[in-house]
Amino acid sequence: MNTVKIDFRLAGIAGVALIAAFISACTTTTPMCESPKTSNLDAAVADVQDSLLNGCEAHYDQYFDDLLTIAEGDPKPENKRAFSEFLVWSNDQGLLSRRQAERHYNRYFNVKFMALEGDYNNCSHTCPRRDRVYRDMERELSDKERGLLKVAMDTESYYQANELFQEVELVLEATCTACSANQAR
Amino acid sequence: MKPVLESTRREPRKHLPFMAMLQLSSVILLACLDFSAPAYAKVDGPTIRLFPTTVVEDLRLTSSVAKEMETGLQEVIGRLDQQQQLYQESKCEGAEEDPGCQRMAKQLGATYLEMLGIMEERLPDMEHTVNNTRLSLEKRLRSELGNKMTPWMLQETLIGGSPQGQPAAAPKLRGRSGMRLSERFKQYYQLVSSSGSQSDQSLAVLAADVYLDMDETSVLIARTREEIARATLMEQLNQSFGIVTPEMMEVVGGVKSILFGDTGSNIQIAGPPPGQIEQAYRSPLEN
Repeated sequence: MNTVKIDFRLAGIAGVALIAAFISACTTTTPMCESPKTSNLDAAVADVQDSLLNGCEAHYDQYFDDLLTIAEGDPKPENKRAFSEFLVWSNDQGLLSRRQAERHYNRYFNVKFMALEGDYNNCSHTCPRRDRVYRDMERELSDKERGLLKVAMDTESYYQANELFQEVELVLEATCTACSANQAR
Repeated sequence: MKPVLESTRREPRKHLPFMAMLQLSSVILLACLDFSAPAYAKVDGPTIRLFPTTVVEDLRLTSSVAKEMETGLQEVIGRLDQQQQLYQESKCEGAEEDPGCQRMAKQLGATYLEMLGIMEERLPDMEHTVNNTRLSLEKRLRSELGNKMTPWMLQETLIGGSPQGQPAAAPKLRGRSGMRLSERFKQYYQLVSSSGSQSDQSLAVLAADVYLDMDETSVLIARTREEIARATLMEQLNQSFGIVTPEMMEVVGGVKSILFGDTGSNIQIAGPPPGQIEQAYRSPLEN
């Protein structure tokens, strides 16, 4: 008889524990990670920073894209600074490495092409994968169009990037022809 | 959205036989250029040596060989022009059976053969000097830009030391299409002769442009030599019938337009719209 009483008590305790666990699971909600709703870049950056610090760091790329879209709605040279500061903050918070922050910034807001990063010489490294380099540069040029032209209204830098792209294409074509002529011999 | 400016990636050429001859003829205009300027490198300590004296000498030699060819062709082409005019004024087109027209057609054909003969005679020398220039430039490009530079260094050379928004004094040679070879060579000369004031980025583009032209010209010369043999045989056969073929007129017309000028094809590329003045901000993340 006593054994049955003890079993009931134990089952009761287990039931209460289960209910408590269930309630506690309901209260720790997963973050929503929504896109910023405002059209003001500074406010949007603040929203994004808040989200990133509250469990949404996996959505970093999406947030960056959202910020670019918001900035496109109000293009001005100062937007460059806003993005730079946001990226530096991201680095400080450990969301991005310094290198990643640099790549993000330069891909959108610098004339130079990150697609041309490399530690080996052109004959041995660039020429064999020239087509891929051009494709990467083309993609990067359209990001620069977005960053420099549509976000920062820096027309001149964008045209410089476009011209640089054409010059790299021409000079690489000649250089790689010269490199391959040597190999053929 | 697509980039505002179109890329100048080259379209594959249509290798029509007569086009080969036309393009080659334009090389002849090198003869009009005197590559006497010895300074091809930067005066104040060049970092890349793309135009050493050997390349200059090769260019000068190419121009002098081309000049000989041009001199020979100019007179023949002048005669062809007169004969063609006479043929048309005599309303011979459609009256090929007329003995007078046949005689004129034979004279025209003979002059055409003479033009082909001059080209055939001069082409081996031309081929030799063009190849020498090409090989010299090839060696420099391979060593200076191919083996001594990473893609990033190449980019930095091309962009120069100018701050963003301040375009460097670069040669106005953007793109290799839409301009006659002769016009390009004229520009090469103008740029090369003032290369003492040119920066490295300008020289790299110039060297690439000249080299690719020379490379293409080499192929065209080889193809033209083959074509001349065929055209000569065809014209020798035509001579017995006194026929003026459309191909013949096309070749002569094309050579004339290139040698004596056709300003209509001098395409001007629009510059970019004025940029924003306010560009003072420089990010600490900028490379």
